[in-house]
Amino acid sequence: MTKSHLILLIEDDIQTRRFLKSSLNHRGWRTVEADCGKTGLAMLNSEKPDLVILDLGLPDMDGIAVTRRLRQLSDLPILILSARSQEQNKIMALDAGADDYLTKPFGSGELHARLQALMRRISRGIVNQEIFETGPLRVDLTRRKVFVGENEVRITPIEFRLLAILIRHAGLVVTHRQLLQEVWGAEHIHDQHYLRIYLGQLRHKLEINPARPKYLLTEMGVGYRLAVEEPSSRS
Amino acid sequence: MKHPDDKRGQHCLKSDNTVFSGGLNYKRRFGYAWGLAAPLVCTLIDWPLRYWLGPASILMTYLLGVFLVASRYGRGASIVASLLSAPAFAFYFARPIFSFAIHDLENIIGLVVMIVVANVTGTLLEKSKLQAELARQRESLASALYRLSRDLSTAQDHDAVSRIAVGYIREEFGADSVLLTVDPENRLQIPSSLPLPAMDLAAAEQVFVNRTAQQDSNFAYYPLKGSRAWQGILIIQLAKPFPWQGPELSAFIDTFCHLIAQTLERLQFAAQAKEATLQAETEALRNALLSSISHDLRTPLTRIIGAAGTLIENDAELSAAERLDFNHIVLDEAQRMSELTGKLLDMARLSSGEIILHPDWNAIEEIVGSALNRLDKHLKDRPVRTVLPDSLPLLWIDGVLMEQVLVNLIENAVKYSPAGSPIDIGGLARDGRCRLSVADYGPGIAKDQECKIFDKFYRGVAESEQSGVGLGLALCKAIVEAHGGTIQAGNRTGKGAEFVIELPLRDPPQLAEPEMPGSLS
Repeated sequence: MTKSHLILLIEDDIQTRRFLKSSLNHRGWRTVEADCGKTGLAMLNSEKPDLVILDLGLPDMDGIAVTRRLRQLSDLPILILSARSQEQNKIMALDAGADDYLTKPFGSGELHARLQALMRRISRGIVNQEIFETGPLRVDLTRRKVFVGENEVRITPIEFRLLAILIRHAGLVVTHRQLLQEVWGAEHIHDQHYLRIYLGQLRHKLEINPARPKYLLTEMGVGYRLAVEEPSSRS
Repeated sequence: MKHPDDKRGQHCLKSDNTVFSGGLNYKRRFGYAWGLAAPLVCTLIDWPLRYWLGPASILMTYLLGVFLVASRYGRGASIVASLLSAPAFAFYFARPIFSFAIHDLENIIGLVVMIVVANVTGTLLEKSKLQAELARQRESLASALYRLSRDLSTAQDHDAVSRIAVGYIREEFGADSVLLTVDPENRLQIPSSLPLPAMDLAAAEQVFVNRTAQQDSNFAYYPLKGSRAWQGILIIQLAKPFPWQGPELSAFIDTFCHLIAQTLERLQFAAQAKEATLQAETEALRNALLSSISHDLRTPLTRIIGAAGTLIENDAELSAAERLDFNHIVLDEAQRMSELTGKLLDMARLSSGEIILHPDWNAIEEIVGSALNRLDKHLKDRPVRTVLPDSLPLLWIDGVLMEQVLVNLIENAVKYSPAGSPIDIGGLARDGRCRLSVADYGPGIAKDQECKIFDKFYRGVAESEQSGVGLGLALCKAIVEAHGGTIQAGNRTGKGAEFVIELPLRDPPQLAEPEMPGSLS
């Protein structure tokens, strides 16, 4: 990274802010802090951050509303931190425009993995990625070819579209609604069985043990996540 | 169906204690006809025999006729018969014949005796008949009360009592009625809508407050007195041809009300006893939960406080390695607490009330995969063998909850089997049901505990190093049963414990546009 990225931290608990700031700075991120939603939204213009970490339980406005507003104002990656662990809360935040969701308490390792996944999303936005690789899985996005190890795997157009969406959000959770809407259209957003069937087929084609997947992970009740092997060696 | 009015004539007591029976007027008219006919028949029989029989004998035949009429048809008919017999005898048999005059004193005395005998016999017979009728009536009421008390003894709730009481009043008296009961605070429960048209609920309330029976033009109100508290009020609609007096009836109503009150009281006591038992049980459960939670939370807290305290107090003396070691302790124990807290919150959420399902089509393989993924840290190097045929259909289940069930079962298997031993997960669809199993290679489940382990707060070993609150399997059971399925624990011969879940299958959904498997265009 040439110039370190700036993270806007919107969190009302000062102790949490303190340890987050310390941990983030230590890993080479720069941070600006806001202790409420309004200040946070104002800082979006004044500080021009690259990424937002947002707590849902803010004193002045609801975190979901802040997420919506942030999404209206920019395309910045948003990572939600919240003590609300129920699936419904996660779905609401993600469908409001958040990119990922981390339940409190969390370890710093987990936080950094998510932040890296988010940053990958930004950089891909600039340079359109052609090849996606994780573990033995290699996907050629322009030629629409999928390989596991050396072998090409034949997958159907729908399977490929699902895989492409998950690759676009690699490392991040994608809700059922997002997937259904993008692949089948808005009228099918409740047909979760489509996802069960096609994701099952994909797992059988791409995973060594489809009953204990390593890449095509299920976030039960929320959506799916394509796990990415720690890309520490890659830039 | 028979109209209730049909029975009214049979079972109703009139204020003057006269008993009516069905077809009564017809019978009475028939009696009077015989009263008229008897002297005529006697006259016809005696006329040809008048030369051989003396007047005393002839008078005896008349007396026999009157007596027979009296014995069958009562006093009225016998008086008619005797009054008619007198002139017939005087006219045809007593000298002078063909005249109503009687010369012999003997014949006059005979006639008077006959009239008196007829009268007395008739009255006696009538009385005994009345007594018999009353006895029959009493017996019928007693048997009604008996049947009522028998039926009430099986009643399990207020609605049943009310149904039985109203049913009996309809059957016995052909009258509509309402039973108002009290709530647990002994307040009369007033229905929001009128149970009977034109009913005066305010009057009912007044009666309940005054504790005395009362009657207005349309309804009779009877408060129901239990041995300790007033149990409610019975309101009977007074139908027009229905006189509500008489000691028999009021005694009957009294007993009737008493029976209902006693039944209501019995139900109240039963409910109170049940609540007390439940409260005691909940109390015991709460204590068990508190002691196990406090143990499981205090252990890591002790270690954190100890480690952090040491770090602060002995900062200067600690080597870098020692410091790192203590920091690791703090982190590990905090993570342990976090995990436990998460679990407790899940349990609290799920066990606080009825389980609400958010079912959708879910693939078992996916749920198993997700559960295993969540347990990655616990499983470490444990081999997990999954046998899930591709033919397993989608299930209409709550994925999040079913994942929780599998997580609990797999976690249990890890806890109660030796390190490094494998865990088997299997799935099978047959006979309209899906069978899922989680099995380990541990010591298995003790013989008598296969059912107990699903009880709340039950832990295999009371004070073991295994953390947990003993809610996991209880929760599994609740979730599986909410899905209309079953869960059972058992042992595989020579292997270890096996938990088997059976879930009902539904017709799988259709895909809108089945895709032909093939290469990309």
